[in-house]
Amino acid sequence: MIFDYKTKYDADTSGHFGQFGGRFAPEMLIPALEELEKAYIKAKKDTDFEREFLSLCRNYAGRPTPLTYANNLTKQLGGAKIYLKNEGLNLSGAHKITHCLGQAILARRMGKKRIIAETGAGQHGVAAATVAAKFGFECVVYMGEVDVARQRPNVFWMEQLGAEIIPVKFGSKTLKDAVNAALKDWITNVRNTHYLLGSTVGPHPFPSINRDFQQIVGLEVKEQVKEMEGKLPDYLIACVGGGSNAMGLFYRFLEDEEVILIGVEAGGKGVERIGKHAARFRGGEVGVVEGYKSLFLQDNYGNIEKTHSVSAGLDYPGVGPQLAYLGQVGRVQFEYATDREVIGAYKLLAKTEGIICALESAYAVAYAIKLAPKLSKEKIIVVNLSGRGDKDIFIVAEAVKDKNWREFLKTKLT
Amino acid sequence: MNNIDKKIAVLKKEKKLGLMTHAVVGYPNMGKSIEIIKILAQYSDFLELQIPFSDPVADGETIMEASEAALKNGMNTDKAFEIIRNLNLRVLPFGSPMSTHKGTPAMGLPASRHPLVRLRTDKLTPVLVMCYYNQVFRYGMDRFCKKARESGVSGLIVPDIPPEEEKKERFIEACLRYDLYPIRVISPASGEERLRINAKYAKGFVYSVSHFGVTGTKSELDKDLQIYLRRVKKYFNIPIALGFGISSPDQIQKIKGMVDIAIVGSAIINTYNRDGLKGVDTLVKSLKNCTIQKENI
Repeated sequence: MIFDYKTKYDADTSGHFGQFGGRFAPEMLIPALEELEKAYIKAKKDTDFEREFLSLCRNYAGRPTPLTYANNLTKQLGGAKIYLKNEGLNLSGAHKITHCLGQAILARRMGKKRIIAETGAGQHGVAAATVAAKFGFECVVYMGEVDVARQRPNVFWMEQLGAEIIPVKFGSKTLKDAVNAALKDWITNVRNTHYLLGSTVGPHPFPSINRDFQQIVGLEVKEQVKEMEGKLPDYLIACVGGGSNAMGLFYRFLEDEEVILIGVEAGGKGVERIGKHAARFRGGEVGVVEGYKSLFLQDNYGNIEKTHSVSAGLDYPGVGPQLAYLGQVGRVQFEYATDREVIGAYKLLAKTEGIICALESAYAVAYAIKLAPKLSKEKIIVVNLSGRGDKDIFIVAEAVKDKNWREFLKTKLT
Repeated sequence: MNNIDKKIAVLKKEKKLGLMTHAVVGYPNMGKSIEIIKILAQYSDFLELQIPFSDPVADGETIMEASEAALKNGMNTDKAFEIIRNLNLRVLPFGSPMSTHKGTPAMGLPASRHPLVRLRTDKLTPVLVMCYYNQVFRYGMDRFCKKARESGVSGLIVPDIPPEEEKKERFIEACLRYDLYPIRVISPASGEERLRINAKYAKGFVYSVSHFGVTGTKSELDKDLQIYLRRVKKYFNIPIALGFGISSPDQIQKIKGMVDIAIVGSAIINTYNRDGLKGVDTLVKSLKNCTIQKENI
């Protein structure tokens, strides 16, 4: 059984990770959260549930994803050995499909016919639309207007998969507003709808549920590194928006205290100025927003501040409560990379390893590029490539100022 | 005795449906907001004043947009309490005429010196503050409650702090320390067990959401509502206030006899946006008239 795995860093029975987490939802949603928790506790003990989940992961989504030795990048940086966990090879292009499959089975078991989801970069939205198609659910995806504009390819794919996309026009028009919009929909349609929340955030039990589904990433890495190197890795690096890919990679290593875990946040245009980044561990304060207590970028009155990141998926003012806790107790170390470093990392990975990763994942790569040369050649770094980069074609083409692409777009307009 | 209880006693004695009206403090701007509140105070039994928040998860479009606009105009918790404090402290003596000050509000003046803050409260109108939990938490639980009390607030409506978090947060405890009633919010989604848990902590009245939805979305007030209210009455021995989607005298007429207090929020903002202060006056006056009419007219 994979779902009976526990660590000393887990939530208590009411969903608190130390002072973080909890279930700070309006009463309208508490019954639905209780229903979900009950269904999940029951499913965890059910071997049929686990069998179906693992079978879908393998035979539908394409797990296990490969762990690739980045020999060229390693050689160029001249330090620690870098391995890449290529989650971009999942169906729908990112790790997000894993928790979507898990939640879809739960939704079906609860008799729900409609799923709603929020999305930032669109990766979770595409994954949600994918499972909705596979399971026959009606699907509505909320996406900030700003993100709709910068992640247009994913909007197109979600629509092709049969989902309805609702652009969110209030607030900062990014990921956190999409979460708010989805919560409002859930309040209204809670009787027939499951909210397929896309990260390790939100009210209990979402942070624990999504982590449990995503733990398969770390579980695979553990086996793969063992097979290739005969020992545990020394460093695990993952980007951190809400935290689903990071918790997925880290979870099975939390109690291997010798393994150093590093989460990389979006440093945007620099962490000195609020509004120009999304580095919660640099400028965040404890708060209670969107149903959970964690670190949030906020003003003195508790209003959420604007964030910035070149990647829509990390452009989020809060962080998963378990990661806030792991940061507080020092088990996970948090670093950041700037927009500029990220574009550089993205380009270097493509040229040296032939892998076009999502801009979100490039944050993890950017930090690995800084870290590896400082380490000896015996050390092993595993970098989580949470998704592939196809969706970022417009952003990257603009960032690298590709003239031919611009010309091509012009011809398409006529 | 908390003012909310006093007011409830009066309503009971007069056998009247109570009216709680709502405003977002600072919307559309500080001066106009005070004028709106002034009108509401004239006709209402309770005032629900919402301190704007960046992420109001239980609110529909109307209140969300109003909150955004108020924040943009610089409204915050301190300024909101300042306005509320002045509502209560700068009352004119009983029976004196309403301030007839006309003209543009003196923007830029501290609220305490604002000419339009003068309210005639020849009647007792308890003020309840509505906000989200992060605003309380970030301000400091004790500091927030203390400030609320000092500003003359009688109760807090904070929808996103369920009783289950009380063990760690001690929010209800802080409220009661300052004689603020922590108003429980329940919804048709709440089953018997949820009602029982909330009833344990309820004070003053219970805020019952009328239907599945966020604020400002139309309520059908159908048969399901009666079944739901019957369930609520089983667990709560305090008055029931009904809100969310109540906007017209017709609806007030419909719920008479079913609940003790009617709550009107988004409709007032929508009316202001469409017809200005005059419109608000007309609407709230008609709502009030409807609540004091004898039943079944």
